[in-house]
Amino acid sequence: MRLAGKVAIISGGSRGMGAFEAELFVNEGAKVVVGDVREDEGRALAEKIGGDAVFVRLDVTSEEDWAAAVKEAVDRYGKLDILVNNAGVSARGSIEETTGVDWDRVMDINAKGVFLGTKAAIPEMRKAGGGSIINISSQLGLVGMNESSPQYQASKGAVRIFTKSAAVQCASEGIRVNSVHPGPIVTPMTEARRSDAAVQQVMVSRIPLGRYGESEDVAYGVLYLASDESSFVTGSELVIDGGWTAQ
Amino acid sequence: MAQIPSRPPRLEGKVAIVTGAGSSGEGVGNGKAASILFAREGAKVLLVDFQEDRARETLQLIQEEGGVASTLQGDMTNIEDCQRMADTAMERYGRVDILDNNVGISQRGTVVEVSEEDWDKVMTVNLKTIVLASKATIPHMIASGGGGAIINISSIAGLRAHSSTPYSASKAGVIGLTFSMAADHAADNIRVNAIAPGLVYTPMVAPRMNDDLRQYRTDAAPLKTEGTGWDVGYAALFLASQEARWITGICLPVDAGLTAVHPGTFTPMNQQTRY
Repeated sequence: MRLAGKVAIISGGSRGMGAFEAELFVNEGAKVVVGDVREDEGRALAEKIGGDAVFVRLDVTSEEDWAAAVKEAVDRYGKLDILVNNAGVSARGSIEETTGVDWDRVMDINAKGVFLGTKAAIPEMRKAGGGSIINISSQLGLVGMNESSPQYQASKGAVRIFTKSAAVQCASEGIRVNSVHPGPIVTPMTEARRSDAAVQQVMVSRIPLGRYGESEDVAYGVLYLASDESSFVTGSELVIDGGWTAQ
Repeated sequence: MAQIPSRPPRLEGKVAIVTGAGSSGEGVGNGKAASILFAREGAKVLLVDFQEDRARETLQLIQEEGGVASTLQGDMTNIEDCQRMADTAMERYGRVDILDNNVGISQRGTVVEVSEEDWDKVMTVNLKTIVLASKATIPHMIASGGGGAIINISSIAGLRAHSSTPYSASKAGVIGLTFSMAADHAADNIRVNAIAPGLVYTPMVAPRMNDDLRQYRTDAAPLKTEGTGWDVGYAALFLASQEARWITGICLPVDAGLTAVHPGTFTPMNQQTRY
């Protein structure tokens, strides 16, 4: 098992990619704290997984919530080795349509949430003698696209470079930090966009491998970065996008 | 318990060709590590090397673990050898799913210093071999009916200056080639990705190393750990497997963070003066 003896926190772990990662991690031997603001779904998932997972309410914009999540990992499972900063929200619209409030909300959750999670995790990872932090950015943190929004793209770009900043700062303590850049994935977050057949067709037509990604396509990349198989990998950006950005 | 069933070996039922499957000296290079990991995860592996005795060492290690592999002598700069390699994989194992292109040599010097002959040689060995091996193998992958995965070993020298200008040019070429091949063959579900190893300690670089240089290279990247062929091998395993089924056209650095930080952050002087 590739994560035997490891303890992980996954933010936004109630559904979509985060939920798949929670199950995959447990299957590979890890104990997982599932953090999310979606309490019913999160509790149901943790219950389904069993004793190797626990749910905590986690609003990633709250430092108190992060402290509680880290404490839960340590109290219940003894330490913290892995953090997946997966929580995020989507947004669409042009620059002129976007308000300052819209901007702040997405930046708070997608960018500041990653910063606060990383900040909360470092002390316990230091005690554990190292760790792995995986930040879920997006291909839209790498390239511009009309069908997105300024705040979503800026927030995902922020995650990309924050990852490198954290990687260089934390490397001497054996804490690795990498970003993952998914293309469009079939998750609840993308449901609204996928329900528009015209948009769906345009999106698929741009993806060389000819389909949307699934949660597991991203989760296995996260598993690789979480495991010791990638112990020489930090500050990297793992693009999982069906070849979209390579064209 | 989770709904995900306990998984089978990650390359179960797959057939892999590894070029440069032997190591040029004692220890474990990128190709040797990938070969062993592929076999460990259930693939049947054709171990190709210009010097077959080197591939036989890899074979022995695989057989000691109970894996399935065989060796083949081949010069990947020769299209006929590449064709024979791809045909041999089909004859021995009935299909081809994975091609791991490891063949490579170092070449230092500036454009003023390098001879035209040495330039041509490094471009041929590091870049053209990938073209020829892929040219011969892709039709067999398509005929095998399961798509495919091609892994091209580039280098961080293809991303940054490295006091090895001809080598850097060839490895940058590998990245460009990878992007284009990924786009060209996606419709056949053949994924093409590159790995950019950092300052890993492998048999290829060992002859020009001493303890000081090894330490210097180790300290040059943020993690300050010494990478090995195994680190590159695990990345190749990931990209070769179905776990990476939606990943194509990427270049994955395996470099302890070297290319993620401001150049010079960890190196007390320009690397060029040291090795």
